[in-house]
Amino acid sequence: MSSTDNKESVLPARRRARAGEGIGVLLLRRLRDGIITLLLVVAVIFVLAHVVGDPALVFSPVDASDEEVERIARAFGLDRPFWERFGSYFADIFTGDFGESWWQNRPALAAVAEALPNTIYLTLAGIAGAALTGIVGGVFAGSRPGSLFDRGSNFFSISALSVPNFWLGLLFIVIFSVQLGWFPTSGMFGVSSIVLPALTIAVVHGGRVFQLVRSATVEEMSKPYVRVARSKGFPHRMVLWRHVLRNTGLTTATIAGWEYVRLWGGAVFAIEWVFAWPGIGTLTINAAERQDFFVLQAAVIIAGVFVIVSNLVVDLLYRVIDNRIKSS
Amino acid sequence: MSALLEVKDLSVSFETRGGVVRAVDGLSFSLGAGESLGIVGESGSGKTVSSLSILRLFGLFDDVSVSGKILFEGRDLLRVSEAELSRIRGGKIGMVFQDPLTSLNPVMPVGEQVAESIRFHTGASRPQAHRRAVEMLDRVGIPDANKRCEELPHSFSGGMRQRVMVAIALACEPKLLIADEPTTALDVTVQAQVLLLLDELRREMGIALIMITHDFGVVAATADRVLVMYAAQPMEHCSIHHLFQRANHPYTEGLLRLVPRFEHQVHGRLHPIEGQPPALTEEIVGCPFAPRCSFTLDRCKQERPPLFRIGPDHESACWLAAERAERETLPDKPWKAV
Ligand SMILES: Nc1ncnc2c1ncn2[C@@H]1O[C@H](COP(=O)(O)OP(=O)(O)O)[C@@H](O)[C@H]1O
Ligand SMILES: [Mg+2]
Repeated sequence: MSSTDNKESVLPARRRARAGEGIGVLLLRRLRDGIITLLLVVAVIFVLAHVVGDPALVFSPVDASDEEVERIARAFGLDRPFWERFGSYFADIFTGDFGESWWQNRPALAAVAEALPNTIYLTLAGIAGAALTGIVGGVFAGSRPGSLFDRGSNFFSISALSVPNFWLGLLFIVIFSVQLGWFPTSGMFGVSSIVLPALTIAVVHGGRVFQLVRSATVEEMSKPYVRVARSKGFPHRMVLWRHVLRNTGLTTATIAGWEYVRLWGGAVFAIEWVFAWPGIGTLTINAAERQDFFVLQAAVIIAGVFVIVSNLVVDLLYRVIDNRIKSS
Repeated sequence: MSALLEVKDLSVSFETRGGVVRAVDGLSFSLGAGESLGIVGESGSGKTVSSLSILRLFGLFDDVSVSGKILFEGRDLLRVSEAELSRIRGGKIGMVFQDPLTSLNPVMPVGEQVAESIRFHTGASRPQAHRRAVEMLDRVGIPDANKRCEELPHSFSGGMRQRVMVAIALACEPKLLIADEPTTALDVTVQAQVLLLLDELRREMGIALIMITHDFGVVAATADRVLVMYAAQPMEHCSIHHLFQRANHPYTEGLLRLVPRFEHQVHGRLHPIEGQPPALTEEIVGCPFAPRCSFTLDRCKQERPPLFRIGPDHESACWLAAERAERETLPDKPWKAV
């Protein structure tokens, strides 16, 4: 055998460098990016509150007189120079001091900590439903493009993802709670209360997962190796399971992961509000209505941390599994 | 000898946004067991579509209609059931495709890609199939096959991957191997090695071959007979000997003239003749080559010439040839396989 037969390298140089990079290095780099993002979020909140707006007004009750506002400004040290305020703000935040909620009479962080698990519970239940319907439907539809199932489910998913989530939530409340009386209209009482908000998430986000998984499957099905698998005589089902899903499995799981992150990016908060679900979204809106600046700020920062962390986890899991597959 | 494969008046067309594309138009040929046929033609002349038709391997999005007959061991492959077809694909007919870099599943070890086919068609156990896969990989010249069978395709070169493809196609000892430009994507030195390997193995195993190519060198090295295609239609069909000694069709002659000193140049590619092939979306009246031909008769522009028998082992779709043949009044001997 001549040596020329073996000379071509297959991975582009950059991919090879990346593939050789340890997970530890990757983790550190992504952690650094995450921390920078978080610092920016915190800084932007400060700038919005202290430079764009007048913090003394924000911190005061709505009906406060001018003297009261001035007293509050002094009490919060707002007469100090900008950089001093900026510094102590950062120091407070990163030592976990998010200020006091004057609406709830307890540390703002405590209010957020109470709401956070409820939001996690709801998002996980919702994304499980979305992933199940979206992935199963997307794979079946994408593996037989143009079939009756494909056209039907495609139409349904496009309708699902074009409906505003709060509207769909209200529709569910009207049908299933008010008309049929199957589920409570709002709040969090026992298992039955999570059904409708989770279903709302499952439908809207399942529609998106479906679209992405379907197109990933369609793309994979038109690759040459699929024709080779068919040329071996394998029936459709076997081509799909043995070959296509081995290649799209990871992408598919990642699609669900990113959708979870997206959910935290805002969609879940509107749904919480519609169903009066006692999570971070509802807390944020209530705090805004009551001018409870510290709770508002804590909720936004903690939600930001959560988005950054879930981003990091999805990304790392993807790399770890990808490396395992590539080197197995 | 009854033919192993008999293609009768095969036509394939695709419904596309730009209109109906006639990709194959009235193709007929037959192939005896162990025989080899080269199909030559410029890019776009319908070679790939012809070969895909045999195993009905059209794409998932193709809106395709096929007519004619493809008789394999007497059964019409265009009409057999899915289950029957499933046994034939990869079992009795193996196929090697053009691009070795994308033809293998990137996340499955190469040994498994050979073994799975053996397991499916012979019902061999996992270890049995694995052992035979390693033997096969060894036979196609993968060094250290025992170890390398656990590796993924990306650690193999293009030439090595094409060898793996050959191993897959031959794993179940088929009766027929279809190779669609198996060396076009490879380096020149590697091309010759892979061709030699293919030819050697198929002779050893007594497998019939359809070698699709646009390269006369490849035909010369591997085929007993050749079918020249142009614009979805067969132009000339003759033994490899006749092709180089007395090609009849002006298109074939044109192609050969443009391969300089071809006897010495194994890798002479086809050079384009002046003008363009007709668009396959429009109906072709008369001979498709007429607009580019220097011997065009009035008849050529009006009537499509069928494949005329112009001598033993020789057919040509040309009105000129037909006139000559009529004058000489050939005895009507049946087609003799070479
Ligand atoms: N799936 C398809 N859909 C529409 N047209 C096609 C398809 N496959 C091939 N064709 C057309 O059929 C003709 C013959 O193609 P092909 O058999 O691939 O040529 P060759 O292999 O000789 O280069 C070309 O004009 C090509 O554009
Ligand atoms: Mg081709």
